[in-house]
Amino acid sequence: MNQLQRLWLGKCKAISLVFLLQLLVIAASAQIKISGKVTGADGKGIASASVQIKSTTAGTVTDADGMYTLNANLKPGNYVIEFSGVGFKSFSQTVKVTSDATYTVNAQLGEDVMRMDEVVVTGVSAGTTRKQLGSYISTVKSDQLTKGATGNVLAALQGKTAGAQIIQNSGDPGGGISVRLRGISSVNSSSEPLYIVDGVIVNNATTRVTNTSGNYDGGGFVGTIGQNRMADINPADIDRIEVLNGAAAAAIYGSRANAGVVQIFTKRGSTGAPVVSFSTSVQVNQLRKSVPVNQSPTKFGGPTDGAGAQTQDILTPALTNKTNVTRYDYNDYIFRTGIGTDNNVSVAGGKDKTKYYTSASYFKNEGIIKNTDFRRFSFRMNLDQALSDKVSFNIGLNFINSLSNEKPDGNSFFSPMNSINIIGNFHDLFTRDIFGNIKAIGERGRVNPVSVIEDIKQRQETNRIIASTGLKIKPFKGLTLDYTMGIDQYGQKGTTFIPPFAYNVSDGFFGGGPALDPTRNGYASAGNYNFFQINNEINATYQTKVTNDISSTSQVGYSVQYEKSGYTLLQSRGLSPFAQTATAGSTIIPGVDQRGELSVSGYYFQQNFNYKSLLYVTGAIRVDGSSVFGENQRNQKYLKASGSYIVSEHEFWKNMSLSKVWNFAKLRVAYGESGNLTGIGAYDRFNTYSSNSFVSRTALTSSSTLANTNVKPERQNELEFGIDLGFFNSRLNIQTNIYNKKVDDLLINRFIAPTTGFSSLLDNFGSLENKGFEIVVNGKPIQNKNFNWSVTGIYNHNRNKAVKIGQALTLLATNAGAPVAIIEGQPIGVFYGAFFAVDPSGNLVKNTVGYPQGERGIQTGPTTFTVQRDPATGLPITTFPLIRKVIGDPNPDYTASLVNEFTYRKASMRIQLDAVQGVEVFNADWRTRQGVGNGKEAEKEQTGVYPRGYINSFYATVEQWRIDDGSFVKLREISLSYAFGNFKKIKDITLSVSGRNLISWDNYKGYDPEVNAGGQSTILRGIDFGAVPIPKTYSVGLSAKF
Amino acid sequence: MKNNIIKIVMIGAIASTAIVQSGCKKDFTNPNAATDEQVFSSAKGLTGVVVGLQRVYTLGRGSTLYNLVTINGLTTNELIVVNTGNTAEVQLAAGGTAVDGNHTMLTTFWTTCNKVVFDADKVIANAKTLADKNYASGLIAYASIFKALSIGNMAQFWSRTPDGTGTNVNFIDRVDGFKRAITIIDEALAAITANPISASFIANVPAGIDIINTLNALKARYSLYAGLYPQALATANLVDLAKKSTFNFDPVALNPFFEVATSTNNVVQPKDSTLGLLVPLQPSLTDGRVPFYTSINASIAPRYRINGFGNAAATAFPVYLPGEMTLIKAECYARATVPDLVNGNLELNKVVAKTNDPFGVNANQPPVAAATQADLLDQIYKHRCIELFMSGQKLEDMRRFGRPNAERKRNLMPFPLRERDNNPNTPADPPF
Repeated sequence: MNQLQRLWLGKCKAISLVFLLQLLVIAASAQIKISGKVTGADGKGIASASVQIKSTTAGTVTDADGMYTLNANLKPGNYVIEFSGVGFKSFSQTVKVTSDATYTVNAQLGEDVMRMDEVVVTGVSAGTTRKQLGSYISTVKSDQLTKGATGNVLAALQGKTAGAQIIQNSGDPGGGISVRLRGISSVNSSSEPLYIVDGVIVNNATTRVTNTSGNYDGGGFVGTIGQNRMADINPADIDRIEVLNGAAAAAIYGSRANAGVVQIFTKRGSTGAPVVSFSTSVQVNQLRKSVPVNQSPTKFGGPTDGAGAQTQDILTPALTNKTNVTRYDYNDYIFRTGIGTDNNVSVAGGKDKTKYYTSASYFKNEGIIKNTDFRRFSFRMNLDQALSDKVSFNIGLNFINSLSNEKPDGNSFFSPMNSINIIGNFHDLFTRDIFGNIKAIGERGRVNPVSVIEDIKQRQETNRIIASTGLKIKPFKGLTLDYTMGIDQYGQKGTTFIPPFAYNVSDGFFGGGPALDPTRNGYASAGNYNFFQINNEINATYQTKVTNDISSTSQVGYSVQYEKSGYTLLQSRGLSPFAQTATAGSTIIPGVDQRGELSVSGYYFQQNFNYKSLLYVTGAIRVDGSSVFGENQRNQKYLKASGSYIVSEHEFWKNMSLSKVWNFAKLRVAYGESGNLTGIGAYDRFNTYSSNSFVSRTALTSSSTLANTNVKPERQNELEFGIDLGFFNSRLNIQTNIYNKKVDDLLINRFIAPTTGFSSLLDNFGSLENKGFEIVVNGKPIQNKNFNWSVTGIYNHNRNKAVKIGQALTLLATNAGAPVAIIEGQPIGVFYGAFFAVDPSGNLVKNTVGYPQGERGIQTGPTTFTVQRDPATGLPITTFPLIRKVIGDPNPDYTASLVNEFTYRKASMRIQLDAVQGVEVFNADWRTRQGVGNGKEAEKEQTGVYPRGYINSFYATVEQWRIDDGSFVKLREISLSYAFGNFKKIKDITLSVSGRNLISWDNYKGYDPEVNAGGQSTILRGIDFGAVPIPKTYSVGLSAKF
Repeated sequence: MKNNIIKIVMIGAIASTAIVQSGCKKDFTNPNAATDEQVFSSAKGLTGVVVGLQRVYTLGRGSTLYNLVTINGLTTNELIVVNTGNTAEVQLAAGGTAVDGNHTMLTTFWTTCNKVVFDADKVIANAKTLADKNYASGLIAYASIFKALSIGNMAQFWSRTPDGTGTNVNFIDRVDGFKRAITIIDEALAAITANPISASFIANVPAGIDIINTLNALKARYSLYAGLYPQALATANLVDLAKKSTFNFDPVALNPFFEVATSTNNVVQPKDSTLGLLVPLQPSLTDGRVPFYTSINASIAPRYRINGFGNAAATAFPVYLPGEMTLIKAECYARATVPDLVNGNLELNKVVAKTNDPFGVNANQPPVAAATQADLLDQIYKHRCIELFMSGQKLEDMRRFGRPNAERKRNLMPFPLRERDNNPNTPADPPF
């Protein structure tokens, strides 16, 4: 080791020497200036195209009009200038440097539909072109992100990248969005990809600072609900997004890349006159589809309100008398048309060695639920400064303030959706008592929806800074060193105020009961979450030619990440009518003070060889360690290998007549490993006793989960094959990926026999498989001067399965009542429960009264059973218990997107359809609506279509009744824009009209099949329980430059 | 070419070495909780754990106490379900095959009982190593109360009880479960006799539980259930009937019945003023215990509501009732090898005519005179059902007094699938 260190020091001296020599060489060369314009096939300038003099360190990027100026110290001779831009094929031009001081070199770049020449930055400093990659990486450019009438970057990404299922889990204006790349990659932890913005690992956690009390959801298992922090990123600042679907592509990120990586690159300045860009838009949000409500003129039993009120008549079959009622549609009350606005101003430019991009943004959007909104201020500054030809640095600063006015989330019975879901639609909500107070709803202590909309105040605010700084040194030809430091720091504060109710509200909903107990009535809370993360990365890249035909790129890197978080909660109930703070209540509810810190560090080495632009081979190794795991399991090694073979680069191919039609063919294969070094909480490997106050004494309580100090991190290995084909001079392109992604040492918090003293054991059990394929087809059927038509289709097929988890069935009890299961050989998160008996033609078997019957028999295994039917009547024999099977799967059979883009002169239109097919939703709300009597099935029982007691006969026992068809095709985005061109000093004036989620073709019985009450949870998916439906949005926008 | 490759390898190797040298801190201590070792090596830690046992046993909808009373009450018609949305409660009220190994309340109950046994064992083992023997005897006695209760509770619902805790534990007959509980209590009593409980221990646990009276009362209860009548009688006689022993609550740690059922009126409520008893065993209309245990709400359904030991946020719940001790004595006389009807009637009437109960459970009824052993047992059963309403003892009583299966929703419970799936020694489920 010492010897190596001495060598290292020696090498440092050598490098310094080389550096000095280089400086001398520079002094000997002459300063020249090369300028010109880079245009596309249409003759328009290409902004941000890269201009690089090959074999030197001199380079720049074009300005907004495609102009560039490059100053370099060059000795006379021939030089090759390489031009490349995102979405364009690269192009080389030779320039002969003589004694002249200035040169003009223009270039026209052809469009690169398959983007084989696009530079992608796969975790390393220099980046490679897509042509060289053995794995699939998709890139989404800024113009595709800003046409979809959304202010959320993840929503904007929906349907635009292969292998991703992006679900907006809530229609709230700041609602959470989950991204699953090639299925889920974990069971115990988040399956959200790693987000990196300009080299900074950015936290996308979902932390509840509101909805924090167990009273909201009974303390049950609710998943991961609420805003996730990618909501803070302003899409208008984004230049492009690269998506790495699995370990084959993301192995170089090692320990945190198990769920894939999403890299976001923000806009940067380019040399030239400052360009002021301005855009503004107005959005209108509306409920896309409501649900029909019960119109029966009568209900069973007595009055609806006041003394002797009897609600939930449907579930009380003993009631047979009828009462006339007036029916209401409460949807009309809680929903509204929400208005939003998105305004962005940016200034970008640069002179000599300085380039900058600054932006300011104000985004505000109202929810379709009354009194909910989300607003975001964002400021960004990106600065690039060259210190010399060889040294440059950059700084990025992003400040965000996000604030949302919310309502209790769907898992509580006093959320806007559930407040109308759990009552019959026969109460007049607005009647007032002599004091002017609204009144109780029925006899059950439900919260009047008017209180939810008008009185309950819930708000959360985040202040966040994402800062990065980078230093890039090119000490000598071929070697690049760069260092990046990033900080992500935010404070998230949530407050809740539920004023004391003036009427009977259940204690469980923070009411004071019929007696309005002042020590219990009302609730206030203040929750704070603070997060700090710093990451440091240092990379070195060395490029050289081994022979004339073989070139080599070597990279080494080291990274260290540290994060610290703290969460505190104050809460109390029994409020005085005026004070709104958490300490104002007469009854203090136990608070929370939770702290954590962790660190991850690792290093890697990657070697790439390139043979004649025909064959590319890459191998890499990464070693990572995390504080979360014990000493023996801490350090993990991940390998990667990939190859890419461009068959169409062979001379024989180019000479074939077929090549006129079939011009491009690439075969690729990639293998990669990655891990989940943050797969358990910071201290989850220890068996601990938590401390609580109990009747004024200290209670130490052992966890229900048995921990294993020697638990291992999950490991993923993924093998991916791909074929990329181009036809008709790349007017038609097909890219296909086939993958097998396997997560071993799967961490499951699995049930164990309670006689062990614990309910579950968090340990490594078996594996999780995701097998599938992706097809991306894009084509340009019509391409001429005035009219262009391009089509992109994406098809994703993924099969998820738990393998050898060693236990037949883990059935989770969830807050929504969804029987979510982990079953050997089945996809994760299936719904498992009792089901209806049907006859051979598929009709429900009914008894003599006309009630459908649950299937009964002997359960022989989790998914096997022997049905027991009475041979005479064909009915299930009631002395046998109900049997259970997998009754639904929230994992889709396939997802697909189809994008059509048309341009006619200055007008353009974009239409995007997204499909999710073969998926089931556990529609808990639909059943509740029937039970409480506001749904259409309840109407059938009240009007005599069904026999009395029909719904109650299977309501609580047959879970299959809640399974609904969640398949849909949505008109995700449609936009129409017209480029007016320039008007005096104002340039690129564009007016656009767009729509989002305007139409959904589905057979779903609820509002929206796409939402999920489990939020961003890995296991709880496809559950409809109080979630706000995703609105349809119209937007009108104007953009221009100065 | 060669030079270049050497160069590449050198740079790679050197950079890697430099990197490995500068690791980063990887050992962080958890500020949020205490570890096993910390907890069980000190008197403070052990005290925290015994208070934790009480917390697990009594706090919230997941507590042993709530599930004991609710499972028992729904199975024996004491209680009804107010809202069909409460699936587990509805299944119990339906009974029979509707209650299976997936039942969530039974699973929770089984889990908390075993959890308490697991932690109590660790406390008892580690307390013995403490130097302060008077403090240690308090720890042992307090942990033993919850351990004995947990084992006794399991023996009331299941045909066999676990033989300890651990991996693939074996099971013993439920009657042996009661005897196991008695052994635990005897050991605790012996520890106290050897080293009386120090005042400092009492100061460190919640007020409410009278340790020695509770140990004797539980020994009497389980001796009765195990058919050890002379021992039950002798032990019941040791209990001071003027003393109260309670699980206490406060505005932060709420009475679980109030928190879940009374305050919400959305889960369970008493069946009605019959307390679930059929003619001719129904309580008299003047029986003071009916208004003690139920209240009436004339305007909001259901009419009969939880009162008694679930009526308010901080109402203490008795660990045992003095009336139970008196009725144990009556039953022991009645079931003696030579039935002693005189003393049996005498003890029974102490309950029937009671007006001075420390908790206010006062029947205040004219005395009865049962002429035969069968009559006396019927009367004892009736008054146990009324006196011990919502205390979780009725299912055991129904079996002991030979009530027909038709009067209850299940006789014994199926073993939770979580146990069966993970422990090959889990016994077969009973048919009913």
